[in-house]
Amino acid sequence: MKVKITKWNAVATWRWDIPEDDVCGICQVDFDGTCPTCKYPGDDCSLLSGKCGHNFHMHCILEWIKQDSAKGQCPMCRQKFEWHEQLHETTASGLPEVSSPRAQQGQGQA
Amino acid sequence: MPPTAQFAAKRLAKELQKITNDLPPGITLVQADNLDEWFLDIQVLDNNPLYQDQTYRLKFKFGSSYPIEPPEVTFVKLADRPIPIHPHIYSNGIICLDLLGQQGWSPVQNVESVCMSLQSMLTGNTKDERPPGDEEFVKANRLRPKDIDFYYHDNNV
Repeated sequence: MKVKITKWNAVATWRWDIPEDDVCGICQVDFDGTCPTCKYPGDDCSLLSGKCGHNFHMHCILEWIKQDSAKGQCPMCRQKFEWHEQLHETTASGLPEVSSPRAQQGQGQA
Repeated sequence: MPPTAQFAAKRLAKELQKITNDLPPGITLVQADNLDEWFLDIQVLDNNPLYQDQTYRLKFKFGSSYPIEPPEVTFVKLADRPIPIHPHIYSNGIICLDLLGQQGWSPVQNVESVCMSLQSMLTGNTKDERPPGDEEFVKANRLRPKDIDFYYHDNNV
């Protein structure tokens, strides 16, 4: 049987390229969700990966790091929290940003 | 609601959802009617004679900056809930534990992990005594726990 496709819809989803069941230790929300102050996940609420190997929503970790009592330390391991500058683009606000989430293509059909 | 209060509310809602269904042995959620103050019971599960067959009531008070700032955690005395005897626990329920202070707190700590730390702080203790100066401290202290400048003189207990 020959089928002629007259119309199709493409659907794409994305997720951060880190283990699926991981949550941000500070807000305890999935990395694919937003920090509690944001509405939309993705570039508007990106992640920050520390050199120590611990990841957080950028807004969450910056909220912590600006406290004096944080002493600039990772909340997980208490090593100095530093991130890999070369992996991040710098936004207009001067804050580092994780590169765009990896898209996973899916395809729907009519 | 200021953004930090919203942050605290969301984080606490997450925690409550988790601990309502699942808490480690010896920890029981007693009351969490709002997002300001929760009560939990803890028991020491090994057979440390100081704490055997006892249940202790903990009160958690959360500020709008939780979890960036630590909760205020104290033991509460009731007819069937004594204040555990420990060299870092005053007889009015105030606890001297570095992880509950500004210096030792980390925002990845949570209600469950604090309860577990307190359980293990009791488990490891062999001294049947209150902190030095307990009587004077309890009589004179009008400060909130977070405003007390504890001197962590002993990291072995």
